[in-house]
Amino acid sequence: MDTEATAAQADVPELDLVKQAQGGDTEAFDQLVGRYRTRVFGMIYNMVHNEQDAWDLAQDSFLKAWKSIARFRGQSSFYTWIYRIVMNVTIDSLRKKQVRGGGAEFDDAIQLKEIDPASRTVPHADALPHERMEQNEIRSRIDAAIAQLSPEHRAVILMKEIEDMQYHEIAESLGCSIGTVMSRLFYARKKLQNLLRDVYENV
Amino acid sequence: MKTFEEKWTAWIDDEMSEAERAEFEAALDDPVAARAEKTQARKLGALLKEELRAPAMGNEEFFHHQLRERIAAESAPAGPRALPPVREAWWTIRRLLWTGAGSLAVFAICAFFVMREVETPDQSQYLTQILNARVDPGVNPNATVSIFQTKQDRVTVLWVDGLKSLPADYAAK
Repeated sequence: MDTEATAAQADVPELDLVKQAQGGDTEAFDQLVGRYRTRVFGMIYNMVHNEQDAWDLAQDSFLKAWKSIARFRGQSSFYTWIYRIVMNVTIDSLRKKQVRGGGAEFDDAIQLKEIDPASRTVPHADALPHERMEQNEIRSRIDAAIAQLSPEHRAVILMKEIEDMQYHEIAESLGCSIGTVMSRLFYARKKLQNLLRDVYENV
Repeated sequence: MKTFEEKWTAWIDDEMSEAERAEFEAALDDPVAARAEKTQARKLGALLKEELRAPAMGNEEFFHHQLRERIAAESAPAGPRALPPVREAWWTIRRLLWTGAGSLAVFAICAFFVMREVETPDQSQYLTQILNARVDPGVNPNATVSIFQTKQDRVTVLWVDGLKSLPADYAAK
């Protein structure tokens, strides 16, 4: 995993920074924030599709991390631990918005009904568009497709495809089993393939 | 026992051992379509990785500054002025007990006076019963008939008022 640390900061092992932060050293925590700030912001942005919300949720996540850093025991990597906080904060926010908005339900059972597990997503030739879409249009299509996933499915597909995280790391970050991660990946991919097949076939 | 979804995902991501992969592929109904699916999933992954670049976080220094401010606010020792005023609930246990005792006392006093009224010596010792009977209005429209009864002595007095004399044929109706 890449980090954002400067050369000087990179010299300090992450675990040392964590221990210093646990002792109340805000400068050490500031360095930890610097290492994960952009990735956390990017991950949240891809979940919520709004820069201001992503900023606020990243702030909330790091503040929560600071408040609970004393409870970090080092049993998992720090970035997995902080991703768990980020995911909790972000998914909670998305769910609150969902409740307020009264939109479609996020439920595995519903998705099971909507997607045939054995369905084929190979595009037909006549479904292909004639012109190549503009970059912003592609991004809009992808964002709209991801927005149709439940927060948990979004988190899983983004952590796997964008962050290249392993199943067990995703499971730790989301507090669920590896089997659940794999199952969610299956349905998230199926849904996105159905929604974006014309996009990825023409890019 | 892995579900089909778990096996499929592991197959897509090449997270199977050689034996598992061979067993899984042998069980597929349509291996050609499955491989096409796998290709599609890989294309989807490549598309997401390529296109989902988050916008650069503008003003990173301000992000740190804002976070430091919030951490400082959270970590600041709470002085006397910072403490929210302690608002004591009115219904404390002690007050509830006192209120209950007071209510019982008021009830007992009221009950005492009510019981006492019945036995007040100022009041007639007679149990007066106004008969629901009328004297013949032809004789005297204002005439009344009352019965006084002394419980202790077991004496009953018929009191007729408004008549000079009791007619011989009078009977209270």
